[in-house]
Amino acid sequence: MKKFLSVMSVFILLFVAACSNDSTASGDDTWEPEKTIEIVAPAGPGGGWDTTARMAAKIFEEEEIIDQGLGVVNKPGGGGAVAWAYIHGKDSPYNLFVNSPPLLLVPLNGQSEYTFNDFTPISNLIADYAAIAVSADAEWDNLNELFEDMKKDPESIAVVGASSPGSMDHIQFVHVAKAAGVDITKIKYVSDQDGGALTQLLNGSVEVFSTGVAETVEQVRAGNIKVLGITSEERLTGEVLEDFPTAIEQGIDASFINWRGFFGPADMDQAALDYYEQKFKELNDSEGWAGVREQYGWSEMYMDHEEYVDFLTEQEKEMKALLDELGLGN
Amino acid sequence: MDIFDGIITGFQVALSFQGLLIVFIGAVTGTLIGMIPGLGPITAIAVMIPITYGMDPAMALLLMAGVYYGAAYGGAASSILLNAPGESMSVPTTFDGYPMAKQGKAGKALAISAIASFVGGTISVILLTLFAPVLASVAVSFGPAEYFALMLFGLLAVSSFADGSTVKALISATIGFMIATVGIDGQTGTTRYTFGNANLLEGVDFLVIALGLFALAEVSSLIFERKEKSVFGKKLGSLQLSKNEVKEMAGPTGRQSLIGFLIGILPGAGGTIASFLAYISEKKLSKKPEEFGKGSIAGLAAPEAANNSASSGSFVPLLSLGIPGSGTTAVMLGALIVLGVQPGPLLMTEHPDIFWGVIASMYIGNVILLVLNLPLIPYISKILKVPRPLLISLVIVFCIIGVFGVSYNTFDLYLLVLFGIVGFFMARFKFPAAPMLLAFILGGMMEQSLRQSLTISNGSLFIFVEKPIALTLIVIAFLSFIVPILRNRNRKKIDEDSVDQKYNSM
Repeated sequence: MKKFLSVMSVFILLFVAACSNDSTASGDDTWEPEKTIEIVAPAGPGGGWDTTARMAAKIFEEEEIIDQGLGVVNKPGGGGAVAWAYIHGKDSPYNLFVNSPPLLLVPLNGQSEYTFNDFTPISNLIADYAAIAVSADAEWDNLNELFEDMKKDPESIAVVGASSPGSMDHIQFVHVAKAAGVDITKIKYVSDQDGGALTQLLNGSVEVFSTGVAETVEQVRAGNIKVLGITSEERLTGEVLEDFPTAIEQGIDASFINWRGFFGPADMDQAALDYYEQKFKELNDSEGWAGVREQYGWSEMYMDHEEYVDFLTEQEKEMKALLDELGLGN
Repeated sequence: MDIFDGIITGFQVALSFQGLLIVFIGAVTGTLIGMIPGLGPITAIAVMIPITYGMDPAMALLLMAGVYYGAAYGGAASSILLNAPGESMSVPTTFDGYPMAKQGKAGKALAISAIASFVGGTISVILLTLFAPVLASVAVSFGPAEYFALMLFGLLAVSSFADGSTVKALISATIGFMIATVGIDGQTGTTRYTFGNANLLEGVDFLVIALGLFALAEVSSLIFERKEKSVFGKKLGSLQLSKNEVKEMAGPTGRQSLIGFLIGILPGAGGTIASFLAYISEKKLSKKPEEFGKGSIAGLAAPEAANNSASSGSFVPLLSLGIPGSGTTAVMLGALIVLGVQPGPLLMTEHPDIFWGVIASMYIGNVILLVLNLPLIPYISKILKVPRPLLISLVIVFCIIGVFGVSYNTFDLYLLVLFGIVGFFMARFKFPAAPMLLAFILGGMMEQSLRQSLTISNGSLFIFVEKPIALTLIVIAFLSFIVPILRNRNRKKIDEDSVDQKYNSM
């Protein structure tokens, strides 16, 4: 049925195009792209944003969901701020971008003048979760033991992450710690942005490593570290992953989602938004995308425009409260 | 699997027809890309990634490794001939390589760099073969306190770059430090010196400064000075090294291959620190330190041996722990994940073909590069015969491509021009550019590791004394700083007239 629909839509497009050569051929209530669509990855090649953007563009083309070309462009800088300013300046339905929690955190830290309200959330596709890991021979075997010690003697425990304070690795840990009753203003957070975070845990410089679930798997298999808790609602599936306990099952009512989805410029035309919403839904349901999710270990988390806006509004409130308490909010 | 079985497995992969072909293609492509001013290993690898899609993971890594050390080889050519280093670790190559080319000894300089690279590459791959499995623990032995001590050691050597005026070297270094603080501060998330400009949030890229201060400043000087001191049109000179010259490079090459490997193993800063330290320490050890910066053979051989050795060393954390030691190996790690291989501590046991294949391919790659590079030198040096206006324009174009290829941001191009202008005036007023770059590279990392250490120790400075490695490094650092001052004081009385000598630093 879906195939039939997309075949039909191609025919309709051809028909419309044949009837009129005008560039606004599709009329007032529908919208079709007439040139190459640009997807901006607000970081350099190789990271999560870049991979998501490239894989989405690839599946869009391979499965002929969108019959225009899609180009992925890297715009690194300012944790995303450079790309956001760029998209805002372009203000065209041919420039989309991929993003995740930094879109909320960076503006809250006062590092970008644009918030998610300055863009149009189209749809969310995937989710990743955070992991709290310690050295394999550490004295703690679950989150509660760790947090008990942090309450007693916050000075003796340092947490390392790969992002700056107030950004993801910090906030995801603080979020869980707060739910467990730790005084989050006393948490010692060390930021190592040159790829040395794991090294610091392995050589005992720090006690705790706040990171993404995927980064821990190989080290756990090798017996170097143990994962005390992850931030998903339920246990994940897959070898090794299924053994990671959630914070929730340990009685700490906190989850943290590293969501990832696509956005357009501010006040996107309703017709264009409808078009993209439909296409991203098709992408999400395609076999190709399911393969991509599996390859990278991403969980499915689909939201359409409306759900996405509600979700982001809620998340922003939560993040803001945390940052304010830490004294990092703006 | 013991080492012997392992390396046999490795050679089975690397010596297969496909393996040889891949290593050859990788080494040649890497050399060619590396030779282009402004393009270094990281760009070279990024270019290769789409080609590796769908390849056998072992072959893909062989290809990328070949491109990596090929680019390190090729990078020497643009550093020596055009004063345009493609990445931070080949900056010290310009210090003596470019002066040699200016003296009409380009051929010899390229030959020295090729041989030193070969020796560095080979010694390190032998060490890698013998000790890779146990080196994993060395790779993680450095915490923030130890890194701080290492950076301090490198930074206190700034005075080594002071040819003529120490004050000018220190001013230059201070500016480098200040530039390193631009952007979002890693430990607090506060923005510093960004003036509300989103383009400055992630700080200034190394390439922008290096190409601006070195390559652009140099071509501007050439335009300005027209005739004198030009490297262009100069003869290539003989490739032959005399017995004395071989002797002169033997010591530095051997020592720095070893030290470079050890520093290269440390994730984070490896190659850059290795080549700077190689240059600095050889200058201190040399009987002819006054030749450094003016075409010293030891001064060229040392960083070349060290940076190639460190390149192999940086595979230790990648292959044995799944920790990328540099930007380039981080890109490789990403590419391996795409191919379905999760690099980590178990790579060696679960994918011995990849682990040992890469190591074995390095032996072959090094030989290919030497055989390829030596006969090519006369042709590479022909670039100096290109008409001057054309060559100057080409250097400028490649600098722009190099910067844009890394940042994809036009703002960085304005910065590039700005640093070109700054570099031009620095050269005219005899401010050395090297201390600025050294302070920029080491200063940023040093500040972060200092503050990480202090966060961990709750503000106590004892953390630097409690750790034996850190303490040793700090003691060496201060000795290397104080001893020459004391020695100079004695020497000053002897030759007072040398005080107001003026040198051109670069």
